[in-house]
Amino acid sequence: MRIIIHDLGNTDFQKLFPQPLDDTMVIASDAKIHHCLGCFGCWTKTPGACVIRDKYGDIGEGFSKCSEALVFSRCYYGGFSPFVKNVFDRSISYMHPDFRNRYGEMHHKRRYKNCVDLLVFFYGEDITEREQQVARDLVKANAINMCWDVAGVSFSHGIAELEGRVS
Amino acid sequence: MKIALINGSPKISGSASGSILQDLRSFLEDTADTIYDYHFKKPIVSAEEVAALSECDILIFAFPLYVDGIPSHLLRCLVQLEQSLAKANKEITVYVVANCGFYEGHQNRLAISMMENWCTKAGLKWGQGIGIGAGGMLSGNRSIPLGYGPKKNLGKALTRLAENVCQCASDENVFITANFPKIAYKLGAEINWWLTAKANGLKRRDLSLRK
Repeated sequence: MRIIIHDLGNTDFQKLFPQPLDDTMVIASDAKIHHCLGCFGCWTKTPGACVIRDKYGDIGEGFSKCSEALVFSRCYYGGFSPFVKNVFDRSISYMHPDFRNRYGEMHHKRRYKNCVDLLVFFYGEDITEREQQVARDLVKANAINMCWDVAGVSFSHGIAELEGRVS
Repeated sequence: MKIALINGSPKISGSASGSILQDLRSFLEDTADTIYDYHFKKPIVSAEEVAALSECDILIFAFPLYVDGIPSHLLRCLVQLEQSLAKANKEITVYVVANCGFYEGHQNRLAISMMENWCTKAGLKWGQGIGIGAGGMLSGNRSIPLGYGPKKNLGKALTRLAENVCQCASDENVFITANFPKIAYKLGAEINWWLTAKANGLKRRDLSLRK
């Protein structure tokens, strides 16, 4: 399965994906999303699921069923937009609370064994060179944390530049 | 000098960020005319808070690392503040203390870089960033004096930060961890997960449940 996380309006999303999407889970900003409370209930109370039962409570489970993740996000300060970041913050049930060493650093143990290719499309009118560098490093760090592979990171001024480039 | 201490943890109480700011406050009380305490635990800043922050000389943010970055609720606050602070007719210097549950303090580096980028966008002066590893130990070690035992490195880093704050000076970012063995930290954290799960009526193997 493929998962698409985006902060686009419906019209822009339709421009990128005009055809019906098969075997794809789309996580969009079409409902109220609660922010992560840092309670770790998704590890020690209801392992594998967020204790906040809004529309975004099972993102970790969604991640476990995908082999490709596409992220479309406005770039803020070299990171994701608040909505996309909120989705990732609410996804930590994907990992196990225990620690393992990876690349000489402490990270969380895997809960699932699926392999995921991560492809990130940042957009924004005035993304600086420094922001681009931080954003590239961020995607790399996210991939190490989740044991995913970075399939690509790109930057564009707006969604119009991406039309026809994704499918 | 007006200083705002901004706790960016979503936790209502008992956060490592709150503990850090409490420690830092003691260094600043003699220098500052006024120290304001804010707690950004929701993704919105009130108009009163925006106005008050625009009048400050120093903003000190303390927050936990979430997925290699700034917690989303705090990020929303920063986006809101960016435009307002850009219009503030004074120099405001920003200092950041980020802490993570991983052992290595440098894992906070990207969140601190994002805060630096936010300062650039908002027209604020960057002061310094401190990245703290083994943050999981901080809230449980409130009784240990700063500069002693596992808080030795933290004491040095916060002392240096406070000196910079008092002079509105910029300095290199600093990354530290607890004066405590990594293996012992890992073991302690994992035992804590088991005990918390047990208190919630779960067995140890339930921590590995898959959906």
